[in-house]
Amino acid sequence: MAEHLRRLFYPRAVAVVGASRDPSKIGHIVLKNILSGGYPGRVYPINSNAGEILGLKAYPRVSSVPEQVDVVIVAVPAQKVLDVMEDAGSSGAEYLVVLSSGFKEVGRADLERKLVEEARRHGMRVLGPNIFGYVYTPAKLNASFGPSNVLPGGVAFISQSGALGIALMGYSIVEGVGVSGVVSMGNKADIDDADVLEFFREDPNTKVIIAYVEGVADGRRFLEAASSVSLRKPLVVIKAGRTEVGAKAAASHTGSLSSGPMLWEGVLEQAGALQAKDVETAFDYAKLFSAYNVPPGPNVVVITNGGGAGVQATDTLAENEVYLKEPPADYVSYLREFLPEFASTRNPVDITGGAPDEFYYLALRGALEHPEIHAVLVLYCQTMTTNPLKTAEAMVRAIEEVGCGKPVVAGFVGSEEVQKAISYLLGKGVPAYPTPERAAQALAALYRYAALRRVVEKRAEYLRAARGERARLGYAESFVRRSPRGPP
Amino acid sequence: MGCTPQALVESAIREGRRKLLEHESLCLCEYYGIPVAKYGLARSSTEAVEIAKKIGFPVVMKVVSPDTLHKSDVGGVALGVRTFEEVQEKYTSIIRGVMLRAPGARVHGVLVQEMLPRGLEVIVGATRDPYFGPVVMLGIGGVFVEVLKDVSFRVAPLTLVDAEEMVKELKGYRLFKGFRGEGPRDEAAVVDVVLRVSELITELDEVAEVDLNPVIVFEERHGAKVADARFMLRG
Repeated sequence: MAEHLRRLFYPRAVAVVGASRDPSKIGHIVLKNILSGGYPGRVYPINSNAGEILGLKAYPRVSSVPEQVDVVIVAVPAQKVLDVMEDAGSSGAEYLVVLSSGFKEVGRADLERKLVEEARRHGMRVLGPNIFGYVYTPAKLNASFGPSNVLPGGVAFISQSGALGIALMGYSIVEGVGVSGVVSMGNKADIDDADVLEFFREDPNTKVIIAYVEGVADGRRFLEAASSVSLRKPLVVIKAGRTEVGAKAAASHTGSLSSGPMLWEGVLEQAGALQAKDVETAFDYAKLFSAYNVPPGPNVVVITNGGGAGVQATDTLAENEVYLKEPPADYVSYLREFLPEFASTRNPVDITGGAPDEFYYLALRGALEHPEIHAVLVLYCQTMTTNPLKTAEAMVRAIEEVGCGKPVVAGFVGSEEVQKAISYLLGKGVPAYPTPERAAQALAALYRYAALRRVVEKRAEYLRAARGERARLGYAESFVRRSPRGPP
Repeated sequence: MGCTPQALVESAIREGRRKLLEHESLCLCEYYGIPVAKYGLARSSTEAVEIAKKIGFPVVMKVVSPDTLHKSDVGGVALGVRTFEEVQEKYTSIIRGVMLRAPGARVHGVLVQEMLPRGLEVIVGATRDPYFGPVVMLGIGGVFVEVLKDVSFRVAPLTLVDAEEMVKELKGYRLFKGFRGEGPRDEAAVVDVVLRVSELITELDEVAEVDLNPVIVFEERHGAKVADARFMLRG
C-alpha cells in the first residue's frame, strides 16, 4: 500500500484540472504554489478555455496532455469531478487529488462512493475529496492552496481538518518548524490515515509525524498502522471530538464510557502514540523530535540562571515522570571552580542571575562531556546584565565542540531579544521554547516516547508468539488458557 | 456444567432476553476461568439452605428474574444473611415481595451467593465499538464508575503488557499499592481477569457488552473475585 503512494509523493508529471488565470481561484493558487515551490517535474494546467496559464500551455483535458500524468489535482465543482475522473483514468493517471467539496460532507455520500468505485476501476486512488491539497518538500512539491513558503524539515503533518491544516502550515513557518510533508485528508473516501502513516513511516525524510484526527473509518487498521509507526518514529496525535457521543444507547457502564474520549486515549496508548491536547504541544514535541528521537539515559541536568524557572521545570518534569537526581560529584567540583560561592550546584544547577554566557558555556560543556549526564535542559531568564543571543551562541559553541549528540533543550524567557535567541537556536537544530515548562514538557516527551515504544515492542512480541501458538495448536485467538470450573 | 456459551445464548434467545441472568453470567465467567464469588441458584427455601451450607455464612441473596430491573426496589435483595433460619425466611420474603411489587414477573429462583469480604472494587468490562470492534475496559469500580470515569481502554485481543499498562494507567493506581495500613492489592489477579475478558469478547460474537462490577481485589496473592456480572447479547 505504502509503496503505491510513492508516485503520489514523487510524481513525474502533474496536471491541475480547473487551473485558472484568475488569481482568486483555487486552481490558480495551486498551480502557482506548484511552480513557485520549484517542483522539477512537468506541470500541465487543464482548462478548456485558456491557451496559457502562468506561462504554461493549457490543455483542454488530461487525456490531451502529450505524456502520462501521475497525479491529477482536481479543482472543479463536484458535479464535474466524475467526468474529470473518467478522462484521467482513461489516460493512465495513478492518483486523483480531489480538492473539490460537495461530497459526503454535504450529504452526497452517493457521489463520493461512485467517484471512488470508478476511480478504482481505472486503477486510480483518490486523496480527498474536500481537501486543501498536499505538500512534500523532498520532491519540492506544494500542491496545495495553503502558504507557498513552507520550510523544509523533518515533520510530517496529516490533517483531517482543512482550515486547521492550512493554519498550521502558517504556524509551522512562524515557529520555525520544518516540514517534510503536509497532507490534507478531508473525507478520506479512499486513501486514509493508515495509508499516509505507512508512507511517512518508511520515508527517510520524515522524523516525526503529527496527525490531527477527528475519527477513523477502520479503527483496527489505524491502530495497526499507528503502532507500526511508533516502532520507527514518534507519532503525535491531536485527537479532536469524540466517537459516537450519545449516539449509542448503552446498557452497561462499559458501553456508556466507551463513547467518551477515554476509548481513544486507550487506543493511542496501545498504538504508542503521544497524545497532544493542543496544537502548541504537538508542535513543541515535533520540534524536539526533529532533533532527537533516541531515548537518552535517565540522568537529566537542568542548568538555569533563575531559581523560579528551575522549580517550574523540575515540577513539569516530575509531573511527566522524569525525576532529577543530584549531579555527579566530579561535575559539582568542576562547577565550583568557576561559579560564585552562592551558586547552587544541586539539580537544577543555578549558575546565578548574573551568569555571563561563559558560565553557560562551561556548565553545559561539562555536562555534555560527563558520561553520567544524559540530557541537559538549559534555562535562561533575561536580565539587564546578560545577553540572550550571546547565551544562545555560547550554548551552540559547547554543543558543537563536544559533538556528542546528547539531547539539549532550551527554555528562554524574556523579550523580543529572547525570541531572536530562540530562532537562532532552532536554526542550529536545538529545540528551544519560550517558557521553562514547555521546554521541560518537550524533553519529558522524549522519555515518554521511549516508554511507549518499549510497550509496543513487547506487545508485538506477544502477538507474534500468540500467532505462532495458534498456528501450532489450531486455536482461536487466545492469550490465556481457559480453565473451566463447575459451579459450587 | 450446562453453561457452555452456546447453551446460554440459545436459552436467552428462546426466552426473548438480551441479558443473561445472574447465575448464567457467573457461570459464563467461570467458563472463561474468571474467579467469581461462590454461588448457587435456589428454587426452594430448602435448596437455598443447602447452597448456603456449601458456601458458608454470611451469604447474599438476590432474586433471579428477567423482568425486574432494580432488584432492591422490589425487595429482591438480602445482604449479610447469617443463619439457616434467616436463609429460609429471606427466601420466602424475597419471592413474596417480588410477587407483590412486580406481579407477573417471571422468577427463576433466588441466587445465594458468598458475601465477599471488603476489598478494592474495580470494574472490568467489554463492549463492541463501531470503529474499533471489541474493546476491553478496566476502571475503579463500584457504584460511582460513571462519575469517577477513572477507566482505561484497549482494543481486544489484549496481550499481557496491555493489561498491565491498563492497571498502571488508572489515576487511582495508588489504591493498588495499599493504603490505610492495608497491604498491596493483587494486581496480577486483575490483569488475569482483564485478559480473560479480552478472550471472551474476542471469541463470543454474540456477546455485545460485559460489565463485571464490582470485581473485588484482595491483598497480594489472594486473588480477585467477581461479585456481580452482567452480559448483554447482541440485539
